[in-house]
Amino acid sequence: MERISLLGFGACAPDCDFRAGLPFPASEINRDAMPVMLRRRSSQATQMAFSAATQACAQAERSPATLPAVFASVAGEIQTTDQLCLELCKPDAMVSPSAFHNSVQNTAAGYWSIAQQCTQPATALAAGADTFAMALLEAWCQLACHGGELLLVCYDERWPNYLATERGQTAFACAMVLAAGTGPNVFLSLSRPYAVVGEDLIPATEADPLLAALPLLTLAAAGGKRQQLCLSIGSDWRVDVHGR
Amino acid sequence: MNRTPHIPPVAITAYQCVSAAGDNLNALHAALLANRNCLRPLRLFELPFETVVGEVSTSLPAVRSTLQTYACRNARLALHALNQGNIRAATEQAIARHGAARVGVVLGTSTSGIYETEIAYQALLRDAAMPSDFNFLHTHTAQASAEFLRHELGLRGPCYSISTACSSSAKALGAAQRLLVADVCDAVLVAGVDSLCRLTLFGFNSLQLISPDACRPMDIQRSGINIGEAAALLLLERPDPGNTESPRLLAVGEGSDAHHMSAPHPEGLGAAAAMRQALQLADRRPEQIDYINLHATASILNDLSEAKAVRRVFRNPPPCAGVKGLLGHTLGAAGAVEVAISLLALDKGFLPGNCGLRQADPQCALPIVAEPNLNHQPRLILSNAFGFGGNNASVLLEAA
Repeated sequence: MERISLLGFGACAPDCDFRAGLPFPASEINRDAMPVMLRRRSSQATQMAFSAATQACAQAERSPATLPAVFASVAGEIQTTDQLCLELCKPDAMVSPSAFHNSVQNTAAGYWSIAQQCTQPATALAAGADTFAMALLEAWCQLACHGGELLLVCYDERWPNYLATERGQTAFACAMVLAAGTGPNVFLSLSRPYAVVGEDLIPATEADPLLAALPLLTLAAAGGKRQQLCLSIGSDWRVDVHGR
Repeated sequence: MNRTPHIPPVAITAYQCVSAAGDNLNALHAALLANRNCLRPLRLFELPFETVVGEVSTSLPAVRSTLQTYACRNARLALHALNQGNIRAATEQAIARHGAARVGVVLGTSTSGIYETEIAYQALLRDAAMPSDFNFLHTHTAQASAEFLRHELGLRGPCYSISTACSSSAKALGAAQRLLVADVCDAVLVAGVDSLCRLTLFGFNSLQLISPDACRPMDIQRSGINIGEAAALLLLERPDPGNTESPRLLAVGEGSDAHHMSAPHPEGLGAAAAMRQALQLADRRPEQIDYINLHATASILNDLSEAKAVRRVFRNPPPCAGVKGLLGHTLGAAGAVEVAISLLALDKGFLPGNCGLRQADPQCALPIVAEPNLNHQPRLILSNAFGFGGNNASVLLEAA
């Protein structure tokens, strides 16, 4: 497999000022993306992931029930985990069972599979500053080994500000439907992600690692141009992008 | 969808495990042969309820000063495993053979360094600030101990964590196999690491799943689960003439229940699909399997669901057993720990027993091996790991 193709994408950014500055379309949280049952108790992280994923599947005209999914997040369900850690400081700590099972990193992946009745594999991945690059690499490997198509969803809700100073303050999610190989009517095709050894660049997105997806999403939204570009997708990770 | 049906096998050229059974594989092997329960009252912190845990009781090594920002119980467990047997030497040899950029690390964990986060929150409430040495991205987040191992070993290849609760490190093995098959890496160190913490003990207690006594998977009188901690490391490489003596990872079957966040599908549909997928990916038939290492947590719902799943896939199920009565449920580490146990069974030639079993639950109706069977040389073992979110993985292993 030489390349993978982008069949559809979506993005969600709850902060309207940040959203307005993005060079590609992004939505606020779309509560209709979620079954009523899940809305009430789901986190910002899970709601954003659903919003972006629903948009990507719609654009790609694919049923979410058929797609294996890779969910990636630096800090996962950090707001729920934060509440649990505060509770655990009390001498008579009472942990809520649903808060506990909603604190796992694969909460969004689990609810997505339940909501979409999707029995395909769903994974949940984290890689710090390189979370977007490693998510794209995992997607590449799944498509290289098994073919077909998959859904990639990257999301980070806002982190409590005392956890990592001036980091994780931008809530953002993006999703992509990707396919093995190339074909007509694709937004872009991508090479295998690769590391640029020796170039220890300080990423522009250190404060919010998932913003490493912005160059690729910008290019996808611009679309249509026949071009080849090398894009940064993490601290020292790159991908070659081919236009339509 | 056009999905390729098979995946080529990879070699497991070294593996190690630190657990409640002791510091290394030899201690684990001895505990398995003795079918000795290693569960004891928790010493790490105080609990307001009765239970026993699989705690690693030996002192853990310190993280070197240059990597101090990564220091946490999880990283120290991983380091302790790395210092046992030949796993560090084997990884360094792989680096020498292939170059550091071609050696990756994929770690499975559920709660990473949260034990230290919990302590830091006490300071947050007291001082209105986290302690100055608290490093969120180097201890708390799921990839933290993977990055620690990467720096400790000087690896330059891909580095990430899979965190899908109790299937995490089984799925990390699948991700590592794909990195090799897709020719991204020439060697991948897989780690399964989880450490005891308040969150999981209080959390499972809130779900009314914690047993006050040593757990008894698949037993009619089971009373819930015990939590454990462990670190297992496995080095994966493509098969070549130099590693024909190494056991093979044939495939990892993965799938979703699409049913419930914390309860398995009552008919075991998702678990059965994961086992079937492992067999299909490796082009093997159910009747070829010699032994199944069950996930068998000793929660009633899990045990019954898994038993139904096994009977769906296997008309005549092979000998089966679960090991959580020895070590407790090591959560995100369980997948890798129980693959290490299955590899010991393949390498040494025995079937591990089901510690804690007195009277098998007749509803399970599986051929459970109560005591280790030393007169059996298995060739093919299936090892199950199922997690919250209905996240299922089944690992198929073959003897060298």
